[in-house]
Amino acid sequence: MDGIAWASSAMVAARSRLDIATENLANVSSDGFHAALARGRLTDRGIEIARVSAPGHGAYRRTGRPFDFAIVGEGAFRLQDAGGAVSATRNGAFERDRFGVLRDEQGRKLIGTILAPGASVRSGFLETSNVDAIAEMVGVLTSQRSFESAEKVVAAIDGVRQKSSNDVARIK
Amino acid sequence: MDRALFAAATGMAAQQQNLDTIANNLANADVVGFKGSQDEFTALAAPGEAGAGTVRTGEHPLFKAGKLERSNGPFDVAIDGEGFFLVTDGPRRAYTRAGEFSRAADGTLRNAQGWQLAGVHIPANALTASVAEDGAVTVTTTGGTQTVAHLQLAQFAATEELQSADGALFMQTRESGSPRWITPGGESGPKLRFGMLEQSNVSIVESMMQILTAQRAYEANAKGIQAADEMLRIANNLQRG
Repeated sequence: MDGIAWASSAMVAARSRLDIATENLANVSSDGFHAALARGRLTDRGIEIARVSAPGHGAYRRTGRPFDFAIVGEGAFRLQDAGGAVSATRNGAFERDRFGVLRDEQGRKLIGTILAPGASVRSGFLETSNVDAIAEMVGVLTSQRSFESAEKVVAAIDGVRQKSSNDVARIK
Repeated sequence: MDRALFAAATGMAAQQQNLDTIANNLANADVVGFKGSQDEFTALAAPGEAGAGTVRTGEHPLFKAGKLERSNGPFDVAIDGEGFFLVTDGPRRAYTRAGEFSRAADGTLRNAQGWQLAGVHIPANALTASVAEDGAVTVTTTGGTQTVAHLQLAQFAATEELQSADGALFMQTRESGSPRWITPGGESGPKLRFGMLEQSNVSIVESMMQILTAQRAYEANAKGIQAADEMLRIANNLQRG
């Protein structure tokens, strides 16, 4: 890989970091949301950004609604959609349909919970988003600055190449 | 490419809606029997894929009781416990905890919007009226006292599914189920408090805090848009000729 390829992979990586930070910021008010963390690593194709789920859970918010559930400790709610696909979530905002089945706001049926030993479910509470808005703002700034510095490197290498191709070989 | 721009835009829209709801709560912080509501948001993501922002999935009234305060209005009554008064307007039926009624010319008790408290008729010669804990409506006339009605309270299997008309008046829905009728005044049941009113359950302090949080979140999302835009500008300027 040449220098421009390295530096441009850094620009793409900075852009991915910004995607992750804005995605997290958009969800500061989404109950049960778990922020994604950007993890950069060097590969032979340059810098790559992987997403991992942020550890820890959001604070608990009292709603007083009987079918709002929060998991205290590790665990998840198991949901099944109309097509039968099963997924897991920590967003415990459910509503009772007229058959008495609890469904989330996208209509997925609650079919059970997976709870770690010692974990419990509390009714009348929701787990809030675990996004740390300050950390994400710092993420927006740093991704912007690293994008800018990578761009400087691309421009510098480009300048050198321009010189060598246009000036060095010029015959007077 | 512009995942960041779109995600941040959904975040701004969400906080805008959030502010609308909080502002409506605040505006009604002094309205008798008003129930504040809260927006709910969910991440916008297809299973197994990275997200693309957030979306509002609903607005729910919170049925927490408001404080009961002495008002001394001649026909004011508050519910201490669970349940709703049935009020009617022609064929329309609604449920409310706002017990601020006044006597109309035809002897009915009506609220400020003209909804009538079901089942009560005050005789024209009544001097005073009162409501007991158990819902008995008693009037005093020159000829003595007499009980003219027994108020009952409506309870629902799924109160949270009632549909809010204006925050104080609620309509039955298929999901809420039909009302169960409760006679107040029992050992553990709800009781009626005459001469008192249930205040709005909106906490001004809590709403102010929510406004601040929503405003900052809105700003943070706007910064995300700025950053994404700035990167696009820089990328466009890479080619300097």
